[in-house]
Amino acid sequence: MKNTLFLPTTFLLLFAACTSDTREAPQSITYWSANNQYEIDLAKVVVAEWNQQHPDFPVQHQPIPEGQSSEEVILAAVVGKNAPDVYSNMWPGDVQLYARARVLMPLNQFADFDSVMQARNSAETLREARSLDGNTYQIAWKTNPIMMIYNSKMLRQNGFDHPPATYSEFIEQAKVITADLDGDGYTDRYMSLLDIRVTWWQRFFDFYTFYIAASGGKMLMQDGKIIFDNPSAVAVFRFLRFLFEKGYCPLEKAQGRVDAFLSERVATRFTGPWEIKHAEKFKPEGFEYDFAPVPVPDDFAGPRYTYGDIKSIVMFKTRQKSQKVWQFVKFLISQKNDYRLLELTTQLPVRKNILQDSLFQNYFVKNPALAVFAKQAEFIRGTDLSAGLKEIFDAISQEYEASVVYGAKSAEEAVKDAAQRARLILK
Amino acid sequence: MKKVIFYLSLLVWTILFIYPFLWMLSATIRPEQEIGGFNIIPSQITFESYAQVFAKIPIVRAFFNSLFVALTVTTGTLFLCSMIGYAIGRLQFLGRDIIFYLVLITMMLPLQIILIPLYILMVKLSWVNSYYSLIVPWTVSAIAIVMLRQYFQSIPRALIDAARIDGCSELRIIFHIVWPISVPALITVGIITFMTTWNEVLWPLIVIREHNLMTMPQLVTIFAVGGQAESLLGVQLAAATLLALPVIIAYTFFQKYFIESMATSGLK
Amino acid sequence: MLKQVRRTFLLIKTMKILKIITAKFAKNDRIGYALVMPYIVHFCLFIAFPFGFCFVLLFHKWDIVSEMQWVGAGNFYHIFQDKLFFKAIRNTFTFLLVHIPLQIGIALFLAEMLNQKIKFRGFFRSVYFMPVVVSGVVITILWDQLYAQDTGVINMIFVQLGLPKMPWLTSPYLAMPSIAIMATWKNVGIYVVLFLVGLQNVPKQLYEAADLEGASHWYKFSRITLPMINPTMLMVVILSTINGFNLFIEPYVMTGGGPMNSTLSAVLYIYNQGFYFYHMGYAATLGFCFAAIVFLVVFLQRKLVEQKPLD
Repeated sequence: MKNTLFLPTTFLLLFAACTSDTREAPQSITYWSANNQYEIDLAKVVVAEWNQQHPDFPVQHQPIPEGQSSEEVILAAVVGKNAPDVYSNMWPGDVQLYARARVLMPLNQFADFDSVMQARNSAETLREARSLDGNTYQIAWKTNPIMMIYNSKMLRQNGFDHPPATYSEFIEQAKVITADLDGDGYTDRYMSLLDIRVTWWQRFFDFYTFYIAASGGKMLMQDGKIIFDNPSAVAVFRFLRFLFEKGYCPLEKAQGRVDAFLSERVATRFTGPWEIKHAEKFKPEGFEYDFAPVPVPDDFAGPRYTYGDIKSIVMFKTRQKSQKVWQFVKFLISQKNDYRLLELTTQLPVRKNILQDSLFQNYFVKNPALAVFAKQAEFIRGTDLSAGLKEIFDAISQEYEASVVYGAKSAEEAVKDAAQRARLILK
Repeated sequence: MKKVIFYLSLLVWTILFIYPFLWMLSATIRPEQEIGGFNIIPSQITFESYAQVFAKIPIVRAFFNSLFVALTVTTGTLFLCSMIGYAIGRLQFLGRDIIFYLVLITMMLPLQIILIPLYILMVKLSWVNSYYSLIVPWTVSAIAIVMLRQYFQSIPRALIDAARIDGCSELRIIFHIVWPISVPALITVGIITFMTTWNEVLWPLIVIREHNLMTMPQLVTIFAVGGQAESLLGVQLAAATLLALPVIIAYTFFQKYFIESMATSGLK
Repeated sequence: MLKQVRRTFLLIKTMKILKIITAKFAKNDRIGYALVMPYIVHFCLFIAFPFGFCFVLLFHKWDIVSEMQWVGAGNFYHIFQDKLFFKAIRNTFTFLLVHIPLQIGIALFLAEMLNQKIKFRGFFRSVYFMPVVVSGVVITILWDQLYAQDTGVINMIFVQLGLPKMPWLTSPYLAMPSIAIMATWKNVGIYVVLFLVGLQNVPKQLYEAADLEGASHWYKFSRITLPMINPTMLMVVILSTINGFNLFIEPYVMTGGGPMNSTLSAVLYIYNQGFYFYHMGYAATLGFCFAAIVFLVVFLQRKLVEQKPLD
């Protein structure tokens, strides 16, 4: 009898043991970076130096374990109470949600916050980082202004000495570039490549970028109201639809395929400065590329804005060591590490007067491509502050796919329907 | 002549099932630019893709995680479900049939309903990011109980009664009398449990966030879908190959058991 | 003081009652309970509790991080207007429409072949079974490459055969059938084995009798083989259906649910609603309704196929 009861009891005890297993807070800081190779490399360098200087408070680094999107991971981690102390790839659009849930540390509570930040950022950047409740929960860490990368040799060889600046120029060049080179009846060189995945954030890099450019820097909302059902958005939809309709863009997945740009199967792409690092590592011999602003409608005049793709550093309210964590955050955004960010990942740190700073200036002289981005960084837009933004982008993405990629809807209709959905979401 | 066509068509189907695997293998040991095309003989052999996988993700660790989780779940299932199956199948007690019906109902219950509440429960138990969440909820499985119960019922009554007369406790009966003559059923349940645990992706994706605790399929999924592979096909395919390898090796040695047990249960 | 006495008294009384109750059960009973205890604990913790919690969630709006918000039948009301959910259900049926006939056709064909007197039967069988044991993740990553439009192996073979290149994963009409073909390739081995067992159980005398009457191949197949393996057929249909309803990793890795939501499976949609948009209450409701549909479909299939009279 005793024997019979033994196993079930152990089973129950095991349960009890498991449930009471609360982890002891170790004397270390956990830090999650983005999970691309270059940022992992950067994090390793920075963390190694920190750990050498602060053996009593080491940092443990791990790339964010993301699948299709990092947002789901952060949420699950917050709920699971195992969010990292520091996360450096936060999309500012999500900060509001987490701030409201009181899981983020208000950084302005640190005594030296203002002095540190004023030395690094402009007043405008700081204002944009502030939340609606007056606290600041994020530090804008890096920006990747989206521009057009183009294969300059390919354009030149086909008689174009400058990259297309307007829609009609783009189409004019597309007619020549898009071609069936081996005569098998299939196009094997395209003007451009747009990612056709419907994931909401993909629209940052096509529709939203083009929309910001075409509208001279408008965003989706103004004073909390949806305003993107305007001629600029329709023009963008129509233009991109034309590219797919005429086959200037392949109707093919971009993810999980051989890099089409570096294998010279497409002439242009729309991307951020991180592409430089990738291109330098993998480009074939004799490959030439350059960057230019995203094309705009023919009658456009004014400054050329683009999507800035800013990512922020946030501190999660975790254990009783915030002062130390704050030290690490300050270390992360120090001039030296901002320079490392630029050097190791070719992404731009959000720093004021970066073009005038002598340390950075030297780098830009040696790497003119990045100087182009640094100049563009003065004309960037982020995303609106709204808890429903993800769903709004999802609605836009659904319409984008139906209209631009598959032509099942007219541009006007698609924009109108997306805006209607967006207004419903905000309600 | 008819015979030749017959074997030829069998061979065509064989190629259909084997060729994709060979193509994958060849893609992982050739230079990146050569991937694509149906020629599976590489012009030069390089293990760069594998080197990159080992350098980028803790895949060895993930292998041991998977192994540990799958083995623990399998052992746990065999022990606990044998006890439960034996009790339901061979003992008389009040409410026994109710429990059996409960088992049958849970067997039909789709996981989707409880996916989210179960995750919340893991959070409440602070089992997120721990092996517990991968192991404990899955050590009792309705299918295993039903299969073992069925097998145990076929055991002659006299055998168990004789043991009882000898003064064996019920636990002793289960593990010393019943088990040795139930090996086929145990193998079947063991293989099914092991395979489903080994191949599970959705649940680890939800509950495990730490690289060091990830199971192999999860890590490979994240690697292939996320940005760390730098869109290098060879590297992605190498990760996939490494994931497939242990199972294929086990399969070549124990194919008879694999086929019998997986087909009898009809599970993937 | 008085309180304590009363409490002790109460304690003794309950102990007595408990003793009477336990005495009612035979020794065998107690052992039985002890042995099923793990199941009961497991059931309460991992089935009953989540189920109950799900029931609460059905009537709430919850983004996990904030407080729950009571919305009454709002979630159910929302489902009826949710075009995407119905699209996901329809997609599942598209999948099944391709998957089940293909699965049965190929499996039956291969099983028939292996049922002849042949050499290397074991070898062929284990080759056809191989994709079954390999993780779905591997198969998906691999087939994603095979399906590539310009450089994929399948399209290259198509071109060699003089056929046009197909947009396997990028056409809203083809994407789901493509995934179904892949799933068939992966799972057909199980069904080959199942059918093989079924075929071997068909009494030889039936064929011999038919041979005496000079029956054709087709006659024998349709009048003897098919009716005799009806139970296996039922199992195959139900198993494929359940597999189809659980579709997740394939679209998650290959298409993300696109193009035009044509590969959005119900599980993927529930996952997205829950872990992408933080609509936990709504995701739970979706899961609940979806499970009800699965239950209904499997139940109907069973009824339909079982009622078919055996020849």
